[in-house]
Amino acid sequence: MTSASPADTSSRHSLWSRVVLAGPVVFAVACLVMAGSALWLPAGPAQIDNLVLPILLFPAIWAALFFCACLARRLTRAWIFIAGIGLLHAALIAQHLLHSAP
Amino acid sequence: MIRLSQERTKTLLAIHGWSAVALGLLLYAVILTGTIAVFAKEIADWSSPLSTHIADPFPPGTDRMVRDFAASVDPQFHEEAFFFPRAGNRLYVFFHRHETDEDGKPRERGVAAEIDPRSGEILDRREGTDADIEATDVANALSEFIVGLHVNLHIPDPWGLLLTGVLGLAMLVAAVSGFVVHRHLIRELFTLRRRGETLLKARDSHVIAGTWNLPFAFILAFTGSYFSFGSALGIPAVAMVVFGGDQDKLIETLVGNPPQVDATPAPMADLDAILADVRARSDAEPTFVSIQHWGRADSLVTVFMNYREGALTGPTYVYSGATGEFRYAKPNLGLVPSTGGTLFALMAPLHFGNFAGVLSKTVWFALGFAGAYVSITGLLLWTQRRSEQPIWRALARLTCWVAYGLPLSLVAAAWAYFPARRIWPALEPVMFAAFFGAAAIAAILAWRLRDPARIRDILLGSTGLALVGLPLLRWMCGGIGWIDAFNAGLATVIALDLAFIGGGLFCLWSLRPRPAALIRTPASQIEAQKA
Repeated sequence: MTSASPADTSSRHSLWSRVVLAGPVVFAVACLVMAGSALWLPAGPAQIDNLVLPILLFPAIWAALFFCACLARRLTRAWIFIAGIGLLHAALIAQHLLHSAP
Repeated sequence: MIRLSQERTKTLLAIHGWSAVALGLLLYAVILTGTIAVFAKEIADWSSPLSTHIADPFPPGTDRMVRDFAASVDPQFHEEAFFFPRAGNRLYVFFHRHETDEDGKPRERGVAAEIDPRSGEILDRREGTDADIEATDVANALSEFIVGLHVNLHIPDPWGLLLTGVLGLAMLVAAVSGFVVHRHLIRELFTLRRRGETLLKARDSHVIAGTWNLPFAFILAFTGSYFSFGSALGIPAVAMVVFGGDQDKLIETLVGNPPQVDATPAPMADLDAILADVRARSDAEPTFVSIQHWGRADSLVTVFMNYREGALTGPTYVYSGATGEFRYAKPNLGLVPSTGGTLFALMAPLHFGNFAGVLSKTVWFALGFAGAYVSITGLLLWTQRRSEQPIWRALARLTCWVAYGLPLSLVAAAWAYFPARRIWPALEPVMFAAFFGAAAIAAILAWRLRDPARIRDILLGSTGLALVGLPLLRWMCGGIGWIDAFNAGLATVIALDLAFIGGGLFCLWSLRPRPAALIRTPASQIEAQKA
């Protein structure tokens, strides 16, 4: 019976970490960015840009985060960057909902 | 040429391949049905024409038809109405009110009618929720079946939309990674080695079709995933954050017709005069008319116009429903032009390819067909390169089943539609039975025969025969004949009949012996070529 070398184990962990980041984490963060950016995007002359653009650009937001997660040389930095964006938007949404609650 | 490190190129190649392997077959189903759905209106016109060609679906007298129908409808459904042309240019009118279902999702309930615009005769009248009314639609059932497969694979919302949205994202990944990994993009546009190993020729065909198709694949993937996620995820999420979950309020804000509530009863203005006025204001034709608060002083009539000559967007005109007075022209979204409104207006023509009539639809059809070809040949290349492993040989058979079984199943649904439309009021279950029946037979063949070439031959041959026989079946089930169709100006009927016969003959012609075809090449030979 052969046991995996520490290098193999580390590489496998790294692969799984990247798969988790590029899959469910990126999707969740893209959803948070879509919902949260409705709060900070300018409304524009018709007062609708902040509502329409996040929905229209959701595929682009997701694709940018996905390729960032897949191609980043330093996986930890990619985690920090993507999770940071997600947390920032989650905080914005939470603050807005708390302030607008009756 | 795009320069990438070897490591990044390998990563992108792995993303390109594995995204296709994981979702390629479902993606193929969505692309193929979408390609056919480009001609959904023509399929509806072909399957359910009226006895003569209707050049103008909103003729003088439209006001009388809508007004008479409104008088027969319970006033609780006068909250909102819309009318637009459907199969054979029948005028489809739906008076309804808004409500929420058991899960809190918005839906419409009311009464719909299909009216013959020549005589004003009500051809069909149905009541219930929008879903109930859709389910018992006979005239548009065949085209709606194909559109439903494309939009959500007939999986209940939001899951079906989420799945097709994910497929759209997978296509986006394949398009972007394909663009980046093909280092010699310009050269590959024109490289097709006609004399060489089978695998190389197959790879060239895949790359050349994929490379020419890249911009189109990107546009379709982007707009397609927007359409899926927009309604399933985007609208609920933004409504939750900005309007406390009120989706109607979000849509009201986006559309930009602010309600000025005045429930005083008031007679409706002449819709014929409004339709004449929009025609005088624009070189485009009206396509869809929406009426808020029928029979009230605050009634608004919104007329959506077709694309102007050479433009990708059309204007929208708003009138007072009580006086008929012109209020304002507006973009599709908002009351004044905006970046969001313009981008929104571009999504539909770019996805549906309907901005220049049949010409642009034909181009979209051809490019969609090339996309379906790329997704299937990509999977076949992947499996052939790994054909020494049983799991990939099984995937090759599965690919053959889906690639050739899906067209056969779609034609089987059409074969069920024509005889059943005279007997059953709800046609969707009948078409489903035929669709899954043909798919099951194809699956048994794929499982038993094992040889991909034989599976392909049998399924493609059956599809060819079924397509050639489809116009005959349509005619035998009470459809209009070619001479009568010609005299009545029903060119769509004749054109689609000929297209189906031509498509069927092409399938049969494709069965000719071709020793170099990838699917016919034994794995051992490919291994020898690789060596």
